[in-house]
Amino acid sequence: MEAVEPQKYVLLALVAVLLPFCAFIRLLLAKNTSGSAFYAITGISLSFIISIFIFSNTWNEQFIHQQVDWFTIGGTTFRVGILINNLSVLMMVLVTGISLLVHVYSIAYMKKDPLIHRYWGYLGLFCAAMLLLVMADNLLVLYMAWELVGFSSYLLIGFWFTKDAASQAARKAFIMNRIGDIGFLIGLFILYTQFGTLDIQKLFGQDGLVLSATVHSDLWISSINQMPATWLTIAGIAFFMGAVAKSAQFPLHTWLPDAMEGPTSVSSLIHAATMVAAGVFLVARIFPLFNDTVLLVITITGLFTALMAATIALTQNDIKRILAFSTISQLGFMMLAMGIGAVDGGIFHLATHAFFKCLLFLAAGALIHALAHLKEKDDLDFDIQDIRNMGGLRTLMPVTFYTMLVASIALIGLPLTSGYLSKDAILIRAFEWAESKALIFTIVPYTALLVSWLTAFYISRLIFKVFFGKWRLQKGFKNIFTLHDSPAEMKYPMIILAVCCLFPLFSSNPLLFETSWILNGFHGTNSLQRVNAYHTIIPAAVNTISIMVMYICYRWYVKPGYSIANNNLLYRFSENQWYFNCIYDVLVVKPVNTFAKAIFWFERKVVDGLVNLTGRAGLLFSAISAWVDEYIIDAAVNNLALLAKKIGDFTRHFQTGRVQHYLVTMLLFVLTVFVLKYFSQLL
Amino acid sequence: MIPLAHFLIISAILFCIGLYAVLSKKNAIQVLIGIEFMLNAGILNFVAFSKYDRINSGGQVFALFAIVLAAASVAVALAIILNVYKKYNTIDPSKINELRD
Amino acid sequence: MSLLSILIFMPLIAGLIILILPSSFQQKFKYVTLLITILQLLISGFIYFQFDPSVAGVHLESQFQLVEKLAWIRLDLGSGGKLEIDYFLGIDGLSMPFLFLTSLVMAVAVLASWEIKTNLKAFFALFLLLDAAIMGVFCALDFFLFYIFYELMLLPLYFLIGMWGGVRREYAAIKFFLYTLFGSVFMLLVIIGLYFSVINPATGNHTFNMITMMDPANFVQGSIFSIAANQELFGVPARLLAFIVLFIAFAIKVPIVPLHTWLPDAHVEAPTPVSIILAGILLKIGGYGILRICFSMFPDAASQSSWWLGLIGVISIIYGALNALAQTDLKRLIAYSSVSHMGFVLLGIASGTVEGTSGAMLQMISHGILSAMLFYLVGMLYERVHDRDIYSFRGLATLMPAFTVFIMIAFFASLGLPGFSAFIAEAFTLIGAFSSESVNGWLPRWMAIGGSIGILLSAAYFLWTLQRMFFGQTRLKGGTDWALQLSDVNLREKFALVPLAIMALILGILPSIAFDKMNTSVIEFVRFITLKQ
Repeated sequence: MEAVEPQKYVLLALVAVLLPFCAFIRLLLAKNTSGSAFYAITGISLSFIISIFIFSNTWNEQFIHQQVDWFTIGGTTFRVGILINNLSVLMMVLVTGISLLVHVYSIAYMKKDPLIHRYWGYLGLFCAAMLLLVMADNLLVLYMAWELVGFSSYLLIGFWFTKDAASQAARKAFIMNRIGDIGFLIGLFILYTQFGTLDIQKLFGQDGLVLSATVHSDLWISSINQMPATWLTIAGIAFFMGAVAKSAQFPLHTWLPDAMEGPTSVSSLIHAATMVAAGVFLVARIFPLFNDTVLLVITITGLFTALMAATIALTQNDIKRILAFSTISQLGFMMLAMGIGAVDGGIFHLATHAFFKCLLFLAAGALIHALAHLKEKDDLDFDIQDIRNMGGLRTLMPVTFYTMLVASIALIGLPLTSGYLSKDAILIRAFEWAESKALIFTIVPYTALLVSWLTAFYISRLIFKVFFGKWRLQKGFKNIFTLHDSPAEMKYPMIILAVCCLFPLFSSNPLLFETSWILNGFHGTNSLQRVNAYHTIIPAAVNTISIMVMYICYRWYVKPGYSIANNNLLYRFSENQWYFNCIYDVLVVKPVNTFAKAIFWFERKVVDGLVNLTGRAGLLFSAISAWVDEYIIDAAVNNLALLAKKIGDFTRHFQTGRVQHYLVTMLLFVLTVFVLKYFSQLL
Repeated sequence: MIPLAHFLIISAILFCIGLYAVLSKKNAIQVLIGIEFMLNAGILNFVAFSKYDRINSGGQVFALFAIVLAAASVAVALAIILNVYKKYNTIDPSKINELRD
Repeated sequence: MSLLSILIFMPLIAGLIILILPSSFQQKFKYVTLLITILQLLISGFIYFQFDPSVAGVHLESQFQLVEKLAWIRLDLGSGGKLEIDYFLGIDGLSMPFLFLTSLVMAVAVLASWEIKTNLKAFFALFLLLDAAIMGVFCALDFFLFYIFYELMLLPLYFLIGMWGGVRREYAAIKFFLYTLFGSVFMLLVIIGLYFSVINPATGNHTFNMITMMDPANFVQGSIFSIAANQELFGVPARLLAFIVLFIAFAIKVPIVPLHTWLPDAHVEAPTPVSIILAGILLKIGGYGILRICFSMFPDAASQSSWWLGLIGVISIIYGALNALAQTDLKRLIAYSSVSHMGFVLLGIASGTVEGTSGAMLQMISHGILSAMLFYLVGMLYERVHDRDIYSFRGLATLMPAFTVFIMIAFFASLGLPGFSAFIAEAFTLIGAFSSESVNGWLPRWMAIGGSIGILLSAAYFLWTLQRMFFGQTRLKGGTDWALQLSDVNLREKFALVPLAIMALILGILPSIAFDKMNTSVIEFVRFITLKQ
């Protein structure tokens, strides 16, 4: 029984991966495109059920690890398999669960699209790749899945490929992710060289190779190899680079706002809940690799990203972009948690964030869907994603309003929500972490606090501008516009998600994050006891100030009379997203293109020019030698012949054929001889 | 007694006349006559010089021999001239240049 | 007569038959050629399955498979001994994969030849001659025989480019021919030098046997290439010089920067089937030659110059990629991407590690498949509207959905998307290059990192092209005329493309089907070249 059991789960897990993949295969092979939604949803539902089953049986149990030989290269055999532990089953449930809801939502949301069968196929590919990513037991397989989710994200961002902005955003996303992938790949090189394997369990498990390797007098020594200790840091940074790109951290974050060009359902699933969390997941998976330097880098990056994205979100007007920057900011929070060693807190936040951010996007999608309907019906021209065109919608779309409200409260982290639990877990750990360090590090927790208040502000701004006050679009039109809540396929997933944003799913006690089962599922943390005052003061302080911030926001955006200067320097800095796109364009894209052109010029003119020059020199040389040949060497031969001919021509004059001439000649000769003879005798 | 020099002078004159005829005459018969002149100049010399060989008279014998040869060669030459005339309808040696090739 | 001889002579005989047949049959020639290539594919498939992966070959004559050794030229040279040239064929794990690759690419090239309309008799006869010569190159184990096949390839290629090519075909054909000849002429000198340095211990005669040349014990004492003698030529150690000369000869074929400029011209001007063959197989002969001849015969010189070879590899990767980024002609872009991808081969080989060499082998196979696919796809576009300029097209995805799917498969596979062969290949060449410093100290680690930038750049140029040509609203330079001419992929084209796509996919998911057959040989090869002598 003991031996059979793990295999069963592994096989089931494989089935869970393959089911959504079938939807993609079907897209490639099948001629008949109708019914693709049915296949996709059946596949993902079954996956979800299997995941729940595996989850309920293996959570907090011994990990399961099964492998088969994949290929052999040299003396190394790469084994591929499935690793089921708390981290992977949690992610499995999260991915399949949210995917299922988004699938259902998409039925209505994407209904009118003529290429919807592709949409289902792409989603299937994404789910399969994401599941493979969380279950892979080998970094090489993980990398493959990593790129495949990037690829499916490329396909889905560029789903409306006839729109230039969409196809550009897709390309940008893929290339930005590629930069991170290069880092990931370099990390793989280093680990493979150092340890001769890429097996996650062997490397990072208990008594794994990474832990048993030592750093000794600037040498990083494993059982089979050694290299300078810098490479340990480089390896950490390299892997983190992969995570940075995938999780849209500074400096590789600019693809995520652009990725909002894809369908909103896709944004909610891939660019908010699951794929972008893969970076955090990766950091958690290979956590033992990071040394202090790398952890500090992770902390600072996460903190900076959280702050930067939050300040940008303050001034955006595109509803999806606000949410995108919010996602970046929250991912920064998770990274921060990783950096300070609170892996459990980071993963917990990942889980709670997945639900409420997915819901925020779905609700935004519902708004956009309704407005798009209106735009089409009344033949209007306005930007359906701009919150300046909304306002007062809470009475028109109550379900959307209440679900979005719940999600926003969770994002702010008010009590009774999931966000309260996870955010506090991170903040408190940050204070504890800073306490054990130098004074300068207290910047970290205080900045994190600031970020959470900024969060409260921007999301309140969104809610107030969209749902409160007057509908600004109505201004200037005589006829009354109406909007309705979304159809059932969209409504119910939102309601389910809203329920998931509340505390009961995560913790029995709404106020104490320490009781959360997810945190308890990840061992190795010692701060679950309420050891110090932070555990009480911080939640109270955060929430009090958050509510104050929300009130200010209400006064600014709902009550008339307050207006903010929107053209000062800071405002524009934030609105233009800290000018990162311009900076990258000027500093990277243009130089690379110019450099490529220069290289091509070099290629044409210098390298190929040299070849052609050699050719031309050859031709010139042969021309010269041809000239020499014709006018000197051949001429010499010809002239000799010519001389003979001239002599012949001269002497033939004597041969007239007339006897008498011959005789004269004879006479002359005889006389000459005679004269000569005579005179020579005389002399 | 006529000195030897007179014979030789006559002979030289004869030879020169013959030579001139051979080289310049436009008629093969005249050329033949010129040849005969030159032969006779030679014969005259033989006879004149035979005074130094009184015992054997080699010069005179040779002269006779040469006269016979001359007669024979005239016969041959005339035959050639006839044939040339037949072929070319002329006996002007300057018009016959077949020897050229 | 072994299977190898059949592989070589079957196309040769078929070519002769085509020459004999009257021209009125000319519509049938392509079917004859297709039949031959499919037969070849079956035979090489059979060879693949029969191949025993447990023996290495490389420098051990007894371990070669399907060996065929006949005395060919035996000329008594009096005091100079006896000239010993054999008809010597055999395969090991380093050459067997190429037989299959050649057969596959040739079959696809025949399908791409359907568009050839003029002078079919000459075309297919030359095509089959080329086929025979390429097979011969991969099978030959006698250096003289190898050289004959090697030179024999040039002839049909010259005419195929020069007669059926594009606008500047004559320039391209002559450039290609002279460039390659330049390398091989000097190779001949080295061959002769080797001949006089090596004695076959069994017969006591000088020999052209490549395997004999690999064993340092067979060198005549004091001869020019003998290791012990340490002779110098022009102030350079003779063995190093010979290595460099041979390397240049093969590097022109690979090609490496800066000896690559024949490639864009030849690829662009050649007709589609010839582009497919050039990129799919011809370039691999360079890599194969470096493995089989340069490294195996002069391992000492190889270890001395590996740093430079690795550097050239990295430069080729990045230089080719940057050039590709600057192109506006789609075919030229793909030609430069070939330069970039073949740089990985050199980098992997130069690493002197098992991972690197296996990766390089797989990269050659993978690039053979993918570049054949890419050139075929470009050829299809060109055939339809006679334009390849990237800016002439826009939004093709709406017009030609199936074509776009194939292009995307080929592009993403080429840029190293996991699941396709190129990913495994590039990852392992780079892993090999990275671990080289720890394993044998041949290459510094930064070269691997430099090489991985090529992966990033390849994503940039392929995706940019995809976005510019295929996405967005449909807008064509030729207007509605073009829209009518741009029909989607037809059945014959699918028939050629699908096997390639499937091969790339299978190799990417199950690289073991390639690695298993060559692993023993690669291990032995690496052991042999890194042996301290």
